[in-house]
Amino acid sequence: MIEKTAIKIKNLKKIYDNKFEALKGIDLKIPKGSFYGLLGPNGAGKTTTIGAISGLVNYKIGTIDVLGYDNKRDFRIARKLIGLSPQELNFDVFFPIRKVLEFQAGYYGYSPKDSKERADMMLNQFGLEEKQNNSCRELSGGMKRRLQIAKALIHDPEILILDEPTAGVDIELRYMLWDFLKKINQQGKTILLTTHYIEEAEKLCDKIAIIDNGKIIVDDNTESLKEKNGISNISIECDRPAKDFNFDNLDYTVNDKIISINTKQPTKNLPTILKILTELNLSIVNIELKKSNLEQVFLKLTKK
Amino acid sequence: MKHFINLNFLSLISRETQRFLALYKQTVMPGLITTALYILVFGKALGSRIGPISADGNKIDYIHYIVPGLIMMAVINNAYQNSSSSMMQAKFLKFLDDILITPLSGVEIAFGYIVGGILRGTITGISILIMCYFIAPGFEIYNYFTTFLYIVLVSWTFSSIGVIVGVFAKSWDHIGVFTTFIFMPLTMLGGVFWSVEWLPYPWGLISKFNPVYWMVNGLRYSMLNVLDQDFSTQMSLAICLLFCVLFSTIASYLISIGYRIKS
Repeated sequence: MIEKTAIKIKNLKKIYDNKFEALKGIDLKIPKGSFYGLLGPNGAGKTTTIGAISGLVNYKIGTIDVLGYDNKRDFRIARKLIGLSPQELNFDVFFPIRKVLEFQAGYYGYSPKDSKERADMMLNQFGLEEKQNNSCRELSGGMKRRLQIAKALIHDPEILILDEPTAGVDIELRYMLWDFLKKINQQGKTILLTTHYIEEAEKLCDKIAIIDNGKIIVDDNTESLKEKNGISNISIECDRPAKDFNFDNLDYTVNDKIISINTKQPTKNLPTILKILTELNLSIVNIELKKSNLEQVFLKLTKK
Repeated sequence: MKHFINLNFLSLISRETQRFLALYKQTVMPGLITTALYILVFGKALGSRIGPISADGNKIDYIHYIVPGLIMMAVINNAYQNSSSSMMQAKFLKFLDDILITPLSGVEIAFGYIVGGILRGTITGISILIMCYFIAPGFEIYNYFTTFLYIVLVSWTFSSIGVIVGVFAKSWDHIGVFTTFIFMPLTMLGGVFWSVEWLPYPWGLISKFNPVYWMVNGLRYSMLNVLDQDFSTQMSLAICLLFCVLFSTIASYLISIGYRIKS
């Protein structure tokens, strides 16, 4: 049977020695091939969840399956399937970046010859060829971030986990990374992304989960999430004052010729609104639709 | 065992080996220079006044008598420094995470670092031995196999201790404290420059509870065929093996449970 779930987390709890409960029973299903966003405020449990998946955080309660393999019992297979680019840049400063990549490939079982080939491929893909003999310390911030992602992809994993991949990078590199990530996602890689740039998640992710205070508070398709939890605004300018406009079930205000309507389902409500305006013989001069964005939804759900 | 010798594990050993070889001026060379100075100062300058040592019915020049102890001192120091500092650096700079997320098990990671220390300790020990042929000529190695075995086993023991200390350490001070306050006194009091038989009662007896005494004298016997009274080579080898197994088990356990290296 073909496994359709890339990562399946069941009742994951993380309780630290000081009794702090960082994760309070997380359940998540990340579909294979999806671009999945895990959002949440600082300290919500995003990095802990990622750490538990990738093997950096110990947990006693709950299970994590990676493409059907238990990440504790079958850790050798599960870890080969995952590539992690952590939030904090971390590099082996003793060696030039080419060697760093070769060693990393070696840790995943590549032979010295294959490790060299993989390192060449990554250096080329991330535009780091000229710097291959330099130490990580000699790289710019953007190059370090590229190297971090190159390390995560060195063993060609099925699942790529990115913890704040664009933190501190300039706009040009951010767009370059977005294009690259979209491309590899279209080629079949499952991507799990955490980011504080909600706009980034909105642009890239087809599914979003929001975690707050150690619990998943919502897990849905990005569009559906916005529709269910966001409020859009339709602003209609009429040719004359719209004082007779009346729509019982909608939150609206009329200010002379301008009707401002707040609705969760703008596309569903708009035909009815237009019908009422036609019945009132009001002509439309201008319509503006401001759809709710993910940031508003995020702020509403996390009550910040 | 099927999983133990694999490319993942060999890559970690390769990384650990290349690290100390790339930094040979800071890793292998200081041991050679320090030992050469000890031999010149203590062996040549003072040794000529001390005269030959009578041990086990043989007369041995003092300069040769101290060579095994000096080798052991360098081996202990290098094996410990290698694994403790490498582990501490990986922890401190967080690139240990790059290893913890790979398919390597805790035992493999521990042994990757331990083997690095064993190699540095052994390379240093053998280099000093070769150097001593030139600066303190006139001795023949009694048993090449046990000489090599002692160097490897002692490197293994102290490399394992290095991994344990590296895991526990929260600062560089913690690494240095062990060298200054534990290993150096144990080594100096373990009979590097003299036989513990020369010490008055009860210090000679107390010295026999020092594990380094058994290591230094084991190597001295292997190299020079000199035995202290009541010294047993079987006991010496058993102690070395016991420490190897004990400390590498502790190191493997700590890394497997992620003590201070995982959340």
